[in-house]
Amino acid sequence: MTAIHIPATKETPEVLVDPTTMSFRLSGESYPENAIAFYAPVRNHLETLLSQPSANDGVEAHFSLRYFNSSSTKLIRALIGMLHRRAAEGVRVIAHWYHDPDDDMMAEFGEDLKDEFDALDFRMIEAEGV
Amino acid sequence: MEPAEIDRFRADARDKQVLLHYSGEFSAPVVATLSDTVREKLDDSAPDRRIARRVFSAFVEMAQNVVHYAPPENADGFPRGTLTVTRGPAHFAVVCCNRVRNDQIGRIRERVDAVRTMTLDEIKAAYRAQLRNDEPDTEGVSKGAGLGFLTLAREASAPIDYRIVPVAGEPDDAEFHLRAII
Repeated sequence: MTAIHIPATKETPEVLVDPTTMSFRLSGESYPENAIAFYAPVRNHLETLLSQPSANDGVEAHFSLRYFNSSSTKLIRALIGMLHRRAAEGVRVIAHWYHDPDDDMMAEFGEDLKDEFDALDFRMIEAEGV
Repeated sequence: MEPAEIDRFRADARDKQVLLHYSGEFSAPVVATLSDTVREKLDDSAPDRRIARRVFSAFVEMAQNVVHYAPPENADGFPRGTLTVTRGPAHFAVVCCNRVRNDQIGRIRERVDAVRTMTLDEIKAAYRAQLRNDEPDTEGVSKGAGLGFLTLAREASAPIDYRIVPVAGEPDDAEFHLRAII
């Protein structure tokens, strides 16, 4: 696979899927009017990354979101679910969840993901001005 | 409207600290422009980033409710609604008014009433349960997961309130007014 880069817009996050570093990154804002349409290709790219032979050597994911709306919520959680399935098969998957120290909702959301998807090496990271 | 009336309207909006008042079609470009405007105004006037994010979130949920659920006035038109963001002495208010079909009223009442009586902990628990519910998110009122109202309730500092008002001469429609205080 070749690297995928979807640039950010005001309403959608930047997406980076890099097979050379086996990393996935989602950063910025997510409040598209049609979240399902935005996330369908993102899911496919992540699925492709996770099915590369080198995925067995480990995968890193970075979620650095400033804000997401309710219709993006389940879709972002589904991406974490995909990473978790791979981790449950024995692959080392590190997921970084960045949140502004003032953003209690983003922190709580990350804590819930960490509890739920316990096969992941899930790391909460406070970052000013995410 | 006479120019003098418009001037009074403008002065009134300033005195009541109206950050945004919009009434009309909710097309994708309109919602994008309104969102940018609300963000900018909140960056200037909200006491901190947390409040700004909450008000913005309530605004987005309400604007997207209009886009997804308000019936358009004619077959090929956009949904219409009125959205207002104001700042009071202690709180911000986000208020949305739009038409809904009468056959959706029962469902709306059921959902908002359920959320209104919950404590914050109950809201968070219901939010988690909805999130883990595997039923896919769809756009229809009848199938939606209810995360929108739960998100609004989490952002608000008082129970969200609403009114449903019949529309004279429109037997199929009612007017839905929704307010979140943040």
